[in-house]
Amino acid sequence: MSEASPILEVRDLAKSYGGVRAVDGVTFTAARGAITGLIGPNGAGKSTALNVIGGFLSPDGGRVIFDGEDVTGWPMHRLARRGLVRTFQLARVFGGLTTIENLLVAAPGHRGESAWGILAGKRYWGKQEEQLVLQAREMLRSFGMEAKADEFARNLSGGQKRAVETMRALMMRPKLLLLDEPMAGLSPSLSRQLEDLFLKLTGEGMSLLLVEHGLDTVERICGKVVVMAQGKVLSEGRMTELRTRKEVQDAYVIG
Amino acid sequence: MGAWEFYLVVILVYLGTDLLAAWGLNLEFGVSGVANLAFIVTIAAGAYAYVVFTLDTPAAGGSFQQYVGGFHQPFPIAVVAGALAGSIVGVLIGITGLKRLRQDYQAVAMLVVSLMAATVVSADTPFLNGNAGLVLLPQFTPFSDQDPETRRWLFVGIVAATCVIGYFVLRRFTTGPIGRTLRAMRDDELAASAIGKDIVAMRLAVQGVGGAFGGVSGALLVAFIAGWSPGAWAYIETLALLTAVIVGGMGNDRGVTIGTFLIAILVLQGVQFLPQSFNSLRLGLREDMGWILLGTLTIVFIWVRPQGILPERRPKYGGGP
Repeated sequence: MSEASPILEVRDLAKSYGGVRAVDGVTFTAARGAITGLIGPNGAGKSTALNVIGGFLSPDGGRVIFDGEDVTGWPMHRLARRGLVRTFQLARVFGGLTTIENLLVAAPGHRGESAWGILAGKRYWGKQEEQLVLQAREMLRSFGMEAKADEFARNLSGGQKRAVETMRALMMRPKLLLLDEPMAGLSPSLSRQLEDLFLKLTGEGMSLLLVEHGLDTVERICGKVVVMAQGKVLSEGRMTELRTRKEVQDAYVIG
Repeated sequence: MGAWEFYLVVILVYLGTDLLAAWGLNLEFGVSGVANLAFIVTIAAGAYAYVVFTLDTPAAGGSFQQYVGGFHQPFPIAVVAGALAGSIVGVLIGITGLKRLRQDYQAVAMLVVSLMAATVVSADTPFLNGNAGLVLLPQFTPFSDQDPETRRWLFVGIVAATCVIGYFVLRRFTTGPIGRTLRAMRDDELAASAIGKDIVAMRLAVQGVGGAFGGVSGALLVAFIAGWSPGAWAYIETLALLTAVIVGGMGNDRGVTIGTFLIAILVLQGVQFLPQSFNSLRLGLREDMGWILLGTLTIVFIWVRPQGILPERRPKYGGGP
């Protein structure tokens, strides 16, 4: 794959619920090493689009091309292993695991999960586990949550759970991360930190597709922004341009 | 051997086989979140496999009972056959729960599987001698040259050794990275698949392993009691194991061990020591007291202490500044 080709290409994607065309012929691309924004009023079909791209829902029509490969209709776990990882609009943590375990469990290719790893025990996977613990602690520190490392995730606040979900996704070292409103419920200072982190990650080659309501955030960190309304792509471009476009203003009251 | 000594042997064998079964169910339900209400069927499969691998052909036994097989194999092979049969049946049961059913519906589906299996085996006499069950196993097969008393204690030793091995194997699955991943699946299947975990493969694998525990449990039990029929594996037996898991502490192997001792020994054996006069209140009350107590314990624990006697514990990694 050449560096110029998009990491994600969505062609004519369609998904209906009953009679409602939640996603109605959506086409857009997301660039490699950049943050692409997906915005639109409530009910525009952003989350449905994300659910189809991420493999939670299968599309009624259209194609999803990820990293040059047609991944339309792949199950979520297969996409995740290939490097397309998503988070959920309502944070979903593993409540019976501790915060740090929520991160550790996401590490891809853990030797301890292989048949041989189960048989052979710690001497086979212990080193890898130690490395992962260091990595997970580092990430907890950067999110200011190191004090919660050994807390059961079910006891965390809503914002903390959301942060755990983001950290867990990052532990997978995805190529493309689909984030469904990662800033919701976070304190302003933490969400600014998160913005910086996302920019840093794209600098390291990761690509992000971000559904977000906070348009200031979108303006600060997104390269291209795709505007959806009523299941269709209404417009796309940089946030500063979009604010001036009539059709966007009509569909989406921009603050 | 006095009556009390014999009773002690019975208790120890029951405890051992119940432990193996409860550990298997805890791996499936407590750790992995698969509410396998058909668990007793894996025990039954192990027991039947043991029987048909141990007995000679029906014709050689005078054709007074019908069954498939009759391989006339030694004890260790029959136990391994029991483990395999339990494992295969466990996976088959697992397949019924794979459709995107909510966990409570899955539990009901598996309960139905349990009822169906018992009905089919009861009705189909040529398969495993139907409702009458299979009897006339050579008792305590492995040490037939010893005197009866020694044989019994040697058998207790075999059960104990199997439990030690079983616990070691169990811990390999319930601790470490795989134990963590299974618990993640239990807590949220969707989020687990979003981080690349293959839920279908893991569920089937877990039911295969749990089923092997059930199979060995059934094989050892039938080697001891020397007979097996549909009456021995009614669906309600699964609930006794489930109570042991819930009371002991879901997901905590040590807790479930305590729970099994409490339920299988103190409650279910304890009621045998209630005075006969219980039955003057209502016929059969003394015998039913075990089930009444089990149901009561389950409800009380779910209300008052849902985490069980020993709550699930997680390793600490420390988060120093």
